Amino acid sequence: MVETFQNLLLGFSIALSPSILVYAFAGCIIGTLVGMMPGLGPLAGISLLLPATFGLNPIIAIVLLSGVYYGAMYGGSTTSILVRIPGEAASVMTCIDGYEMTKNGRAGPALAIAAIGSFIAGTVGVIGLMLLAPTLAEFALRFGPPEYTALLMMGLFILAYMSSGSTIKTLASAGLGLLLGMIGIDVMSGYTRFSFDVVELGDGVGIVPVAVGLFGISEILLTAGQAAAVKVQRPRLRDLIPSREEFRLSVGPIARGSLLGFMIGIIPGSAHIISSFVSYGMERRLAKDPERFGKGAIEGVAGPESANNAAASGAFVPMMALGIPTSPVTAVMIAAIMVHGISPGPLLISQQPELFWGFVASMYVGNVVLLILNLPMVGLFVNLLRIPYSYLYPCILAFCILGTYSVANSMLDVWMMLIMGGIGYILRKFHYDLAPIALGLVLAPMLELSLRQSLAMSAGDYGIFLERPIATTMFALGLLLFLLAIKPLIFKRGKDWRKDVGLEGEQG
Amino acid sequence: MLRIALAAFALIAAAPVHAQEAYPSRTITMIVPFPPGGVADLTGRPIAAAMEKVLKQPIAPVNRSGAGGKVGYAAAANSKADGYTILIALSSVSIFPEVDAIFNLKPAYTLDQLVPIALISADPTILVVHPSLPVKSAKDFIALAKKQPNEIAFSSSGLYGTLHVAMEMVVQSAGIKLRHVPFAGGGPAIAALLGGHVMALSSGPAAAVAHLRSGKLRALAAWGDKRLAAMPELPTWKELGYKDVEFYIWAGLLAPKDTPDGAIKALRSAARTAVGDAEFKRVMAKLETPINYLDAPEFKKFWDRDAERLVRTVRRIGKIEAAK
Amino acid sequence: MTEQTPQAPGKRGLKSDQFSGLMLVAFALYVAWENRAYPVGSLQEPGPGYMPLLLAIFIGVMGLLIALGGGKSQRLTAITWPEATRAIVILLACGVGAFALERIGYRLTVIALLIFFLGVLERRRPLPVALVSIGFGFISYYIVGDLLHVPLPRSPWGF
Repeated sequence: MVETFQNLLLGFSIALSPSILVYAFAGCIIGTLVGMMPGLGPLAGISLLLPATFGLNPIIAIVLLSGVYYGAMYGGSTTSILVRIPGEAASVMTCIDGYEMTKNGRAGPALAIAAIGSFIAGTVGVIGLMLLAPTLAEFALRFGPPEYTALLMMGLFILAYMSSGSTIKTLASAGLGLLLGMIGIDVMSGYTRFSFDVVELGDGVGIVPVAVGLFGISEILLTAGQAAAVKVQRPRLRDLIPSREEFRLSVGPIARGSLLGFMIGIIPGSAHIISSFVSYGMERRLAKDPERFGKGAIEGVAGPESANNAAASGAFVPMMALGIPTSPVTAVMIAAIMVHGISPGPLLISQQPELFWGFVASMYVGNVVLLILNLPMVGLFVNLLRIPYSYLYPCILAFCILGTYSVANSMLDVWMMLIMGGIGYILRKFHYDLAPIALGLVLAPMLELSLRQSLAMSAGDYGIFLERPIATTMFALGLLLFLLAIKPLIFKRGKDWRKDVGLEGEQG
Repeated sequence: MLRIALAAFALIAAAPVHAQEAYPSRTITMIVPFPPGGVADLTGRPIAAAMEKVLKQPIAPVNRSGAGGKVGYAAAANSKADGYTILIALSSVSIFPEVDAIFNLKPAYTLDQLVPIALISADPTILVVHPSLPVKSAKDFIALAKKQPNEIAFSSSGLYGTLHVAMEMVVQSAGIKLRHVPFAGGGPAIAALLGGHVMALSSGPAAAVAHLRSGKLRALAAWGDKRLAAMPELPTWKELGYKDVEFYIWAGLLAPKDTPDGAIKALRSAARTAVGDAEFKRVMAKLETPINYLDAPEFKKFWDRDAERLVRTVRRIGKIEAAK
Repeated sequence: MTEQTPQAPGKRGLKSDQFSGLMLVAFALYVAWENRAYPVGSLQEPGPGYMPLLLAIFIGVMGLLIALGGGKSQRLTAITWPEATRAIVILLACGVGAFALERIGYRLTVIALLIFFLGVLERRRPLPVALVSIGFGFISYYIVGDLLHVPLPRSPWGF
């Protein structure tokens, strides 16, 4: 403990030196801006900045890039809340209740809670990273294909919780998302599936264009199309600060989201978006009145936003302690330090203490910077809503096109976004949930791959899922969740029938 | 860095478009078929920076990643052959047309659509195993695989990916059977090996070196023609008697086929000067990637031999379900 | 959204859920048909066609359930599409913009797109339209293209 403290002092002495502080600051600002741009997420931000770091020293490089990374995680929530455009993929869940809050004139509190939740989650994440990195990293390594399969199955069961409308329709949406995830080259057999001879589709459908299209573009089509623009309540000044009640409701979700996000973040893979889904599902399940979800529940903003920021810190655990890139983002960051001749690996923390501890300390600093940066900005951002919608939406559309294009210089992504916008528009007219599509799209390739990898490992023996304690536990838990999800479904069905004798069903 | 960028921008802004002027008269685009931070990117950017100094025109690396590099390769092969588009390619460039043929797909590009400029680096892969595997040498490894056919699992960066093809060369040459567990990329593949979910991997030396030092992994053999300078104790498969096992992760500059001779000449001489550039050498040394420069004619020979080995191996792998 | 528009009694028609459910079934059949190119494999060794087939069946079943249970949903004709014309125009304009992006360059496309939206579709006054569209085009290009080094498409005239 004393040693940790001394190391931390060393870290702060580095992180608070003026030159590094400036870069941490710059990183956070750039990250926030990049995160706010629809389509441009943390990965795009740090990929774009990577070449610029080659000329810097390694500590500055990593401080700058990580600033961009968690800055973008913060910034992603802003557009989700204000205009229902996910600034990055992990903010999809924030769109749902965040935007409803904006419609109710509570944009200020939503933004403020998102910032506070992100701050707490980020800080919890750094503490976890600092104290537990080596221990947890070993744990993360025990996640092989069978454990992933179990984890992802669990993620799918959580879908059953999330539905705001009919459960069958939710499942159908999830099925569509999973099917969308089947597009592309099958890693196990080399077949290119459903690519319609488009080479770019070999990599599959990206989550960014789909999320922006389904949520953002469809919203614009629904709103801008109407002859008289829908009134979004203009918030008054005293509505900027969350009420006592809203704070009270957010405490639990933030705490749970932080822990959950961190745990999921450690596990290598596409963690951010899953963590926010799981958090949303959990909060909805725990809430006394789940009906409020989807209609502007503050918990639906606090939980997922905390979870995805904690996951961002969690992702650094395997990267720093083992030198394994567990996500595209950490892969780029590893490249950034490799360029300086530092080989990331199990010896990194002991051999490069200035780097690791400077990095940890800079994350504390960065989180504070972001909070200071974001809270006063709430007022400014909310004022964006004063721009007449007829000016706002064309600019948003142009931003969406620019953002999706910039991620991979790919026109295909732009087309994908537009097509998804149209599909999202139609599906919403028929009352289908869109969030399960995004989740299904992310889960499908990972689930299929890890299931088939597991079977390749065991030569076709399903017993592999029962021999491994972590996998077995998760399967059991998933099954339990599933049963719990089914119970109210059957119960509710019965109630509906009685109600339907005289009245219409609850939803179209 | 910023100053260079600004200067580059000033040049772009100032340079009028005059196609008839001496080559190069404007920005050259370098297609990098992998995301930032990959081997191609980390080799491409420094060489581009070094060549800029010689050509006095900016070279802009553009990441066109997708489908394991196929998207970028195809984009480069089908781009306008005016000398203003070049490609930084890895060994996998030779594999895709063959895989397309296996699946009866219209090939996205063919190898004769691309001509060599210079080879920048070539690094043989090494065989790394999890320490719990009871083998101390490559010989033990083969013996164990013969004793327990289809029991040792190995990971790879993907089916027909470079790391898979390298391992498959050994499998075919030694007549052993291993269990293949493909992953989506080199990072997850090495993570699975570290976690002991698979037992072996053919990995690039730079990616494995830190884990070798810490004892989390053990190296057994190398795929090169000669022993690695950084790991002289490691025998090559050739020494061990597997004559046709030779594999490199190489990075080279290519251009579309009909690029004017003048442009190719200028690019070749720029590359020759660039590999001797002190800054470039420094960056590559930090990446633990040895520079292995070959000019176009020798590169062509090297590439042909390499492609021949890869294509032969891929053909023998064939369609996976057909093998069962 | 869910309230029923009063319909003439006795008038029969397809319900919205029946329609969307049947569309899902049709889609599932299409996927299953497309999927025949890929080997399905076995339970022990699933092939590339295994998951897609499973999902197609799943969606088909869900579609069927939605259609069967959809008797009480809104009438298909009761879903109004007041914004559809403008939505299609917006989407088409974006499509044209996407098509033009790599041909006439980022700045020209975005300026044209914004002029279309603001000037033609929203009928704003010319001065603000010009300011917003040209300002947006240049500033966003400067930030993303020049500062972040994203190679945004340029027109053949180098602009």
